[in-house]
Amino acid sequence: MAAVTSSMNTVWDVEPGESRKPGIVHVVMLALFTGIGIVVGTFGSLAVPLGFVSAFWPGQAVQSIGAIWFGWWGGIAAALFPLISNSLSGSAPLPVSIMYLPGNLLQGMVAAWAFRYFKTDPSLKTQKDWWVWIIFGAVLPNLIGAAWGSTTLVAFGLVQQAAQFTTFLGWFIGNTIPTVILGSLVLKFVSPLVVKTKAFCKGLWA
Amino acid sequence: MTIAVAIKDLEWKYENTTQFALRKVNLEISENTFLGIVGANEQGKTTLVSCIKGLIPHSFNGVYRGSVEVFGQAVKETSGLHLAREVGLVFADPEAQFTAMTVEEELVFGLENVGYDINKIRERLEWAAEVTQIGNLLDKSPYDISGGQKQRVAIACVLAMDPRIVIMDEPTSMIDPLGKQFIFDILRKLKEEGNRTIIVVEHNIEQLAPLSDQLALIHEGQIVKVAPPDEFFADPQSLIAQGVYPPEVAIFAGWLHSQGYLPDASPIPRDLAEAVAAAQTALKMGSG
Amino acid sequence: MTNGPDELRPARLLIVRGMTIMAAESVPVGVRAPKMRKTLLGYVPIVSPFYDYHPVTRLAMYIFFGVAPVFIDLPEVNVVLLLITIGLLLWGKVDLRRLRIYLPLIATVAMFMFTMVFIFPGQDPSYTPIRIGPATIYYQPVFFTFASYWRLMAMLFGTILYFSTNRERDMLVALRAIRLPFIASYVVGLSIRAAGMFMEDFRTIREAEQARGLDTSAMKLSDQAKLYMMYLIPLFSIALRRADEISNALFARGYTLTGQVEGGGRRSDYILNQYQMTTKDWGWIVIFMALFVAAAVAQYGFGLFRLVNSPLNIYLRSLLGIP
Repeated sequence: MAAVTSSMNTVWDVEPGESRKPGIVHVVMLALFTGIGIVVGTFGSLAVPLGFVSAFWPGQAVQSIGAIWFGWWGGIAAALFPLISNSLSGSAPLPVSIMYLPGNLLQGMVAAWAFRYFKTDPSLKTQKDWWVWIIFGAVLPNLIGAAWGSTTLVAFGLVQQAAQFTTFLGWFIGNTIPTVILGSLVLKFVSPLVVKTKAFCKGLWA
Repeated sequence: MTIAVAIKDLEWKYENTTQFALRKVNLEISENTFLGIVGANEQGKTTLVSCIKGLIPHSFNGVYRGSVEVFGQAVKETSGLHLAREVGLVFADPEAQFTAMTVEEELVFGLENVGYDINKIRERLEWAAEVTQIGNLLDKSPYDISGGQKQRVAIACVLAMDPRIVIMDEPTSMIDPLGKQFIFDILRKLKEEGNRTIIVVEHNIEQLAPLSDQLALIHEGQIVKVAPPDEFFADPQSLIAQGVYPPEVAIFAGWLHSQGYLPDASPIPRDLAEAVAAAQTALKMGSG
Repeated sequence: MTNGPDELRPARLLIVRGMTIMAAESVPVGVRAPKMRKTLLGYVPIVSPFYDYHPVTRLAMYIFFGVAPVFIDLPEVNVVLLLITIGLLLWGKVDLRRLRIYLPLIATVAMFMFTMVFIFPGQDPSYTPIRIGPATIYYQPVFFTFASYWRLMAMLFGTILYFSTNRERDMLVALRAIRLPFIASYVVGLSIRAAGMFMEDFRTIREAEQARGLDTSAMKLSDQAKLYMMYLIPLFSIALRRADEISNALFARGYTLTGQVEGGGRRSDYILNQYQMTTKDWGWIVIFMALFVAAAVAQYGFGLFRLVNSPLNIYLRSLLGIP
């Protein structure tokens, strides 16, 4: 994939002589973000207890944000924390959560790839940054997640095939709205701190 | 005598800062001695001990010049795993160093990292728990215990790994007076053993001075004075000017000297007992 | 290497099934001892016959009760599994009142599933319509939904059983016992720990605001929602600081990215060593795994658990005259 180049320095640019490699801090960040996701995901599932259907789930914001800031480390957290939060809230049994894994991974990594490809500032400084965030951080991940999730539910017989589209729509809308609100706030105000830390990943692993 | 730590022309600047936190630091610490490091806040004390431990430059980005050697090995070239065997560090905030679910797991984590077998781990666990009196806390979460207990657990975690150098960075800053006393009691016991190099960064000079073989003063990233306590407190006013308040007994003895009640050669007392002896000497001189 | 002052004799450690204690804790006279203890993942009984079993045995039990219902369409069998699970919860001394938080979920899931099948039954010429007043429902999708609901409940209670009878340490020991790479089990443990820290920080921020006069009960729901959203900003900032502190602490203890040990040998696992597998454990693991495999084979090999074999289905169809 050809990278979009810009004459201006972005937070993603690796400076000459700069050495970046995965370290303990990334493993720690993976664990911490998984912990954050467990709390936010469980809270969302318990706040609107529709069970296996995701109707209000701020956890998706954590998935996108984590992957944007920390690349694959955030992506792995995005896949891992719903396994635990779904079990804690009772919103999805283990087999269903395991089937959700690829969808959850993609929900995080789409934003990670897009932000790096389009050299988007995580602090959402320009209009272009906002559009990339909304489309690739909120809309597209939730389209993928809702499609994957509703298909999983049909496969497990928890939702009728005829109801799949309605389930998909409710899932998509119910997740996209908290992602946009919560994710925008956090990216705007916390990204300036994150980009200065050792854990911030300019690439996908460091 | 073997040199435990040799620091030569050490300079360090943190990433995204303009000033060097350490400037041309030179220091040698002999094996099995007790060094107290004092100085006002933000002068470079924690940075210095982090360099000895190897956190700088392994875990921090910045500009590193000069060298730090621990038992002849350059810290910059030594792995964190090997450094963990030689140098233990107790942080000021005990909670910042806990990662496990229970105290027992906290203690054994480091022991597993250094490759001990199960029997050795058990032996070290039992010993460290006894020295720091945390045996009744082993199955508790490290987050559910008091501040003083947390710091004892943190010390136990370091002692269990049996490093040749133990560094404590303001170990009593976040705990209550009773807890502080207990920490100094542990330091006293370690000093009495006499088989470890101990480096303690502390503001509580009253308690630190009696234990120290040498005291080092850091000011604006430089070591401005290294001396045994006698010499270190000989000029209390200059210490006060650099933000370090000598023990009350040293100030009292300084006054006695200045008034001629004590001969110039008499040592500066480090604790209350020595101060009482100095006062008795002064009274004898006055009456004689 | 030193070994401590001679006058300090090694302490005697009492090891109680993986929990090392120096002295027995006692409850003062007149005070009712609590039956359940809060963990990061819920409540577990302080004393339970489950603790006599190795955590891997309990994990095997979870795999059976929490996953095997996937293979089972028959609502009768899933209801039996559910009842067995509830029986195990009682036997395990779990205070069932703590499980009240799941009641809204159980009710809303039922409402959702049956509402959806009512509105979107699907179209198939083989479906049998049943008129109830002005409304028409279709037998086959309704019965299918009924069966799916009980399968979901069986799996849900299997999960509840696991989290109500396993402390965090038990879960980690189980993961280590099945030879999950150290880094993976360490990440899981630190994640659970991080969730607890995050909740604690959240509580601290709320208490600080309440101490300054904030009264959330007097606020509108939308304002409360906005407030909770705003809490996330300092919470994320705290998490960033913790990441640095924890990684420094891990470095100080000699931890490497892959969990490699000094000398390159195999890593000892002291905590795992505290748990011993007994014949009873092996027996139950074999039973649970055999039942799991048997369920899969019975369903996919012989179709034993298909809905057509459900006695209730057979009875209702005969009652309604459905061939």
